[in-house]
Amino acid sequence: MSIHVNKLTKTYHETEIPVHAVNGIDLSFEKGEFAAIVGPSGCGKTTLMNMIGGLDVPTSGNVVVDGSVMSELSSNKLIDFRLRNIGFVFQAYNLIPVLSAKENVEFIMQLQNWNKKEMENRTLALLESVGLGEKINSKPNQLSGGQQQRVAVARALASKPKFILADEPTANLDSIATNQLLEIMEKLNREENMTFIFATHDQRVMDKAKRVITLDDGKVISDVLKNQ
Amino acid sequence: MTKIAWRSIWRSKLRSSVVIFAIASGLLGGLFSSAWMNGMAMQRVNNTFAFEIGHVQLHNPGFSENTDVKKTILDTRKKILSLSNTDGIKAATERIRLSGMAATANKNMGVNIVGVEPDTEKKVFELYQRIDSASGGFFENDKKNAIVISKALAKELNAKLKSKIVLTFQDFNGEITGAAFKVVGIYKTDNSPWDKLHVFVKNEDLRRVCEVPADQSHEIVLLLDDYEQAAFMAQELQGQYPDVKIEDWAEISPYLSLMSGYMDTMMGLFMVIILGALGFGIVNTMLMVVLERTRELGMLMAIGMTKKRIFIMIMLETIFLALIGAFIGEILSMLSIAHFGTVGIDLSSVAEGMEAVGYGAITYPMLEGYRYIQITILVILTGILASVYPALKALKLHPAEAIRST
Repeated sequence: MSIHVNKLTKTYHETEIPVHAVNGIDLSFEKGEFAAIVGPSGCGKTTLMNMIGGLDVPTSGNVVVDGSVMSELSSNKLIDFRLRNIGFVFQAYNLIPVLSAKENVEFIMQLQNWNKKEMENRTLALLESVGLGEKINSKPNQLSGGQQQRVAVARALASKPKFILADEPTANLDSIATNQLLEIMEKLNREENMTFIFATHDQRVMDKAKRVITLDDGKVISDVLKNQ
Repeated sequence: MTKIAWRSIWRSKLRSSVVIFAIASGLLGGLFSSAWMNGMAMQRVNNTFAFEIGHVQLHNPGFSENTDVKKTILDTRKKILSLSNTDGIKAATERIRLSGMAATANKNMGVNIVGVEPDTEKKVFELYQRIDSASGGFFENDKKNAIVISKALAKELNAKLKSKIVLTFQDFNGEITGAAFKVVGIYKTDNSPWDKLHVFVKNEDLRRVCEVPADQSHEIVLLLDDYEQAAFMAQELQGQYPDVKIEDWAEISPYLSLMSGYMDTMMGLFMVIILGALGFGIVNTMLMVVLERTRELGMLMAIGMTKKRIFIMIMLETIFLALIGAFIGEILSMLSIAHFGTVGIDLSSVAEGMEAVGYGAITYPMLEGYRYIQITILVILTGILASVYPALKALKLHPAEAIRST
């Protein structure tokens, strides 16, 4: 698995003065990375993540995942690409409120037409792995923020993605929930070699990350690979 | 997807309940008023069959044009016997029809004089049931020169039971003649203008005075097993009896046929208005739903739910709402129509006005079973149509922006 970000730019023209949210970024990610994209608010973290995840279209440049140029995919192919290759964890959890934890995780597998038995087994295993084996039938409003975010991680992993994009996953969590979540993600990265890319300004995430990419004004100002 | 759509309906119980209530009450109003109109129309149609015209009539072709007293049907007994034994014909009777004057000491009025064979007349028409026990009977004994008149005519002529009424009319030879008749029965239908115009006497009395030959009459009236077969039956019989003109009820009384079609159109119009209003209500509600769930829809798109599936999900939600509302509305409609169809809606306070235009004071709402199925299909179609615009709105969402929305 490889992700190549080539001369990526995103310019907004909401006012007369163009705003370069992402300004000519070149990056590469390999399988098993545990990388954090950091920087002050408005530096372009979320815009970059959205373009890596195929949720937004670059003004120029491209994102290539395993040879597929995302901006060249049709709308339907892009949706299918996201479904099969990318797991998303959002800041606000974004679970489906009318479904239980189990149903939320299963939902993404239903979209992929999984066999019912396999789907159930994988869902239970995933919820166990994030420490929510006892909460499978709870609705999101019956779970704490940290628990909801762990369900979101289980959901992101459900479709066996190539990598997971987590945009400010700890922003709404207290330190205990943050530590629990990070431990789970670290474990998945360590044991299953799952690739995680975070956009964050949370120091605790930066401390755990193996690679920290710092952005400012839409540009990469540092890209540090930590020694483990 | 079905699960999400179904459960999503109940996220805002109040809003969904309001929509369901609107659909249910709209349907109740529409179906009940349709049933009421339909009941009134069917009562009018059935009364016309039962008291006035029957289902099929046979005349001498010349009689229909100018009611010439000499234009009779020949061999009526043979024809009646043959017709009575025809499949699909329940009963047949013959009538002598004359125009004349009815006079008492107080007043005289123009009337249609109907000569009847009481036994067969009772098999075809139900007028005899509209004479209450205090108002005599329908030629229950062999008294000569008996006459049955309506309550409305009795009032006009200031007549009552046993009053003498002199009928004046043209006889078979073209001479003006007349005879005195004694009132033996006073009837009342729901059509007072018709009542005022029609008096009934026995054929044998009329033949004697009017000199209409035996075995000849002006009219043979048929009662069929199914009135909807009248046109077909009339056509079939016309081939067998080329010497007479045979008409079904729609030809005899085009108003009835028109009314039947008119009621269908009115009911259709009613439903279009109600369903249109419901449609706009649903569109409004579903637009709010899409607006409120922008972030969730963005997330669904982001994680890989196709536009087609999102479209279907919004559509399913709308259809579920419409179906629940339709189900409740139809149950309420069935119950209320069944109740008032039995006890009737009493409009006695405006009875005179109703009867002046041929309708009874008590009306019985009724609706055919297939109408409920039609309505269910129409509600589903309305739900589908109403969901298209909100669903398209949802598809226009940009996932990245939608996820950031609050």
